[in-house]
Amino acid sequence: MEFSLAGLWLAIIGFFLLYYVVSDGFGLGVGILCLFPGKNEDRKAMMESVGYIWHTNQTWLVVVGGMLFGAFPLFYSILFSALYIPAVLMLVGLIFRGIALDFHEHSRSKRLWARMFGAGSLVAGMAQGLLLGGLLSGIHVRDGHFAGGVWDWANPLSFLVCLGVVAGYVLLGCNYLVLKTEGDLQKRVFGYARFLFTVTLVLSSVVLLWINMRYSYAAGKWTFLPDAFYRVLAASLTALAFFMLFRSLRGTREAAPFFWNAVTVVFSFVTLSISVYPYMIPHVVSPITVHQAAASSGTLAFMLVVTGILIPVMVFYTTYTHRVFRGKVKA
Amino acid sequence: MEILLDHVMLSRLQFAFTAMFHIIWPVLTIGLSLFIVLMEALWLKTKEEAYYRHARFWTRLFVLNFAVGVITGIPMEFQFGTNWSVFSGAGGDIFGHLLGFEATMAFMLEAAFLGIMVWGWKRVSPRVHLFATSMVAFGSSLSAFWIMSANAWMQTPAGGVFQDGRFFTTSNLESILNPDLPWAVSHMWVACLEVTIFVVGAISAWRLLKRRHVDFFLKSFRIMVIAAIVITPLQIYLGDGSGQKVAETQPAKLSAMEAHWRTNPEGEGASWNLLAWPNESKQDNDWAITIPDGLSLLVTRSFTGRVQGLRDFPAEDQPPVWLPFYSFRVMAGLGFLFFFLMVWTLWAWRKGRLRPDVISEQKKLLLSWMAALPLSYVAVESGWVTREVGRQPWVIYGVLRTHEAASPLPAYPIGTSLLVFAGIYSVLFIAFLLFAGYIVNRGPEGVE
Repeated sequence: MEFSLAGLWLAIIGFFLLYYVVSDGFGLGVGILCLFPGKNEDRKAMMESVGYIWHTNQTWLVVVGGMLFGAFPLFYSILFSALYIPAVLMLVGLIFRGIALDFHEHSRSKRLWARMFGAGSLVAGMAQGLLLGGLLSGIHVRDGHFAGGVWDWANPLSFLVCLGVVAGYVLLGCNYLVLKTEGDLQKRVFGYARFLFTVTLVLSSVVLLWINMRYSYAAGKWTFLPDAFYRVLAASLTALAFFMLFRSLRGTREAAPFFWNAVTVVFSFVTLSISVYPYMIPHVVSPITVHQAAASSGTLAFMLVVTGILIPVMVFYTTYTHRVFRGKVKA
Repeated sequence: MEILLDHVMLSRLQFAFTAMFHIIWPVLTIGLSLFIVLMEALWLKTKEEAYYRHARFWTRLFVLNFAVGVITGIPMEFQFGTNWSVFSGAGGDIFGHLLGFEATMAFMLEAAFLGIMVWGWKRVSPRVHLFATSMVAFGSSLSAFWIMSANAWMQTPAGGVFQDGRFFTTSNLESILNPDLPWAVSHMWVACLEVTIFVVGAISAWRLLKRRHVDFFLKSFRIMVIAAIVITPLQIYLGDGSGQKVAETQPAKLSAMEAHWRTNPEGEGASWNLLAWPNESKQDNDWAITIPDGLSLLVTRSFTGRVQGLRDFPAEDQPPVWLPFYSFRVMAGLGFLFFFLMVWTLWAWRKGRLRPDVISEQKKLLLSWMAALPLSYVAVESGWVTREVGRQPWVIYGVLRTHEAASPLPAYPIGTSLLVFAGIYSVLFIAFLLFAGYIVNRGPEGVE
C-alpha cells in the first residue's frame, strides 16, 4: 500500500463515486419505489422529495466520468467500450428519469410521468449494476484495447451484482424517504427497508465471496500481512456498519437509517476495492493495474492541485444546498 | 448502403447527431442565465417590479431548457469512452482532465445553485438568490471555456508529445491555453449571447404581434435590440479573426472552407469563391462565381498574399470540401443578416415605431425577428459543421486519424444506440416545444 499519485487518485475518484452512489442512489431508489403499488399523493411526495436535489446528485456522475477520463484514460476507454450496451442503457435510463422529473410539473398526466420516472430509474440502476458486474467479472484486454465480445458482461456474476445494486438503491431510497416523509408513507417504506436490508446483505456477501474465489490474487491476500490486516479491518467495519443499520431499522429515529446505510455503502465498496487492488481492471489472465491505467504523473499532479482546491468548495456549497432544502416534503 | 455497415461511420454519425442536438440547449443556458442575472440585479437596484417579473418568467423557460441540456449532455461525456476508446486512450492525458475540470469546476456549480435559483425564492434572501443565479451563469460560461478548450486542443494540439500512440503532457497550461483557444472561446461565447438575443427577442416579438402583455414584452424586446448593437458586429469581427487563425494553424481546413484548390503564384492574388460547385475527384470547382484577389485580402490583408491551395495536400490529408464550403457560407451569411436586422430595428425605433401603441402593427419587423430565432441556431450548427468537418481526416489534428480512433466494436450495437438516441431525442424535442409553448402562452401571469 505504498503511497503513489495513482493510488491517491483512485481514492479521490472513489470518494466522488461513493458520493454519487449514495446521493443519486437514493434518488434512483425513490424512482424505483414509484413503480410499487401506492397512492398518487404518495408518488407526488416521492417525486418532490428528490425534485430539487437530483440535478446536483446526478452531476457527481458527470464528475466521476470526467475525472476517470482525466486520471485513468486507459481504464475509461476500456471500461466503456467493453461495456457499451450497459453504458448506453444507463444513459437511456437517466434520460427518461430526467425527462420525467423535469416535465411532470408542467403536464396533466402525472401518472404517466411517475411511471416513466420509475422505469427510467430502474433501467439506470440495473445498467449501473451491470457496469459494476461487467467490470468485476473481468474484461479481456490486449495491447491496451478491449479485445472481448460485446456481450461479455452478460454472465451470472454480473446479474447477481446488478440485483445487489438495485436492491441497495431501493434500500437507500426507503431510508431517505423515512427522513423526508411522515405518516402512512413513512411507515410503509420502513417496512420495505427491513426486508431489503436482508436482501442487500445476502447479495453483497455472495458477491464478495465470489470475487475472492474467482481471482487467485484476491484470495491470496487473506493470508499475507500487511494485506490481511487491512482486509480483516475493512470487513469488520463493514459488518459493524450493517449491524448498526439493522439496529436503526428496529428503532424509531428518522435520520439514523439513512446515515448507517450510507456508511454501509462506503465500507462495502472499500472492502470490494481492496479485494481487487492493485488491479483496476480484473481479469483471470490479463488484468490491468492501477498504475498502467493512470495518466502521466505530470497530469495527475496538475489535476491534484486543482481538484484539491475544488473538493472542499464543492462539498461546502452542495451541503449548503442540502441545508436550504432541509425538512419534510409536504404531501 | 455499404457505408452504414461500418462501425466508424456509425460512431461518427452518432456523435454528430448527439452533439448537434446537445449544443442547441447550452447556448441558450449560457446567454439566458446572464440575462436573468441582469434582470435580478436591476430589480434589486431599482426596486422596479417589472424586472422581478422578467426574472421569474424567463427562469421558467431557463429551467426547461437547462434540463434538456443536462439530459443530452451526459451522453456526450460518456461517448468518448464508449465509441472513441482509441481516441480516449491516446488523448486522455490532456483531453480527459479538461472534461474533468468542466464537471468539477463548472457544471457542479451550475447544478448545485440551480435548485436555489429555481425553488429557493422563498427560502433565501433576494441577495443570496442573486448570488445563486450569478453562480449558475458563471458556471455555465465556465463550462463553455473548458469544453472549447478541449475542442480547441483537438484542432491545435499543444503542450505535449506523441509517443507509442499516446499523448504525454509536458505542460498542462500550454495544452489548456492552446493556440486556437482564445478565438474558439470568444467566438462561441458571443454566439451564445447572439442566440439568446434572438430567442428572447423573437418570443417578445411574437407576443407583441399577438398584443399580449405588450408593456412586459416590449421591455425585453428593447433590451435585446440594445444588446444586438454590440453583439452582432462583434461576432462578425470575431468570426473574421477565427478565420485568420484557421489559415495559420489549419491551412487545409481553410482551403476546404473556401474551395480553393490552387496556391496562387507569386505576385498574383487568390480569388474568393462567392459560390462554387467543388468537385473532389477533379480537384477543382466545376463552376464558381469569383471575386478577384478576394481570398488574399480576406486571409492576408494584401492583394497578392499567398493562400495555400488544397492540391498542395495529399488526397488522404484533405478534408471533404462541399460541406465546409457551404456550411461556412450559411453561417457567415446569417451573421451579416442579423447585423442588418439590428440596423433596421434601430431605424424603426428612431422613427418612433417601437412605441407600445404602434409596435404591434410592425408586422414585417416582428416577423423578421421571429424568423431570426431558428436562423440563429442554424448559424451555430453550421459553424460547428464547418469547424469539425473541416478538421477531417484528423480527430487530433495532424496526429490521430478519425478512422483509427473509434472503439473496436461490431456495427450493430452502435446502429441500435443511434436509432434509440434519434427516437428519444425526437420525442424530447417535441415535448420541449409543447411545454415551452405553454410557458410563453401563460406569459408573466402567476408570478408571485
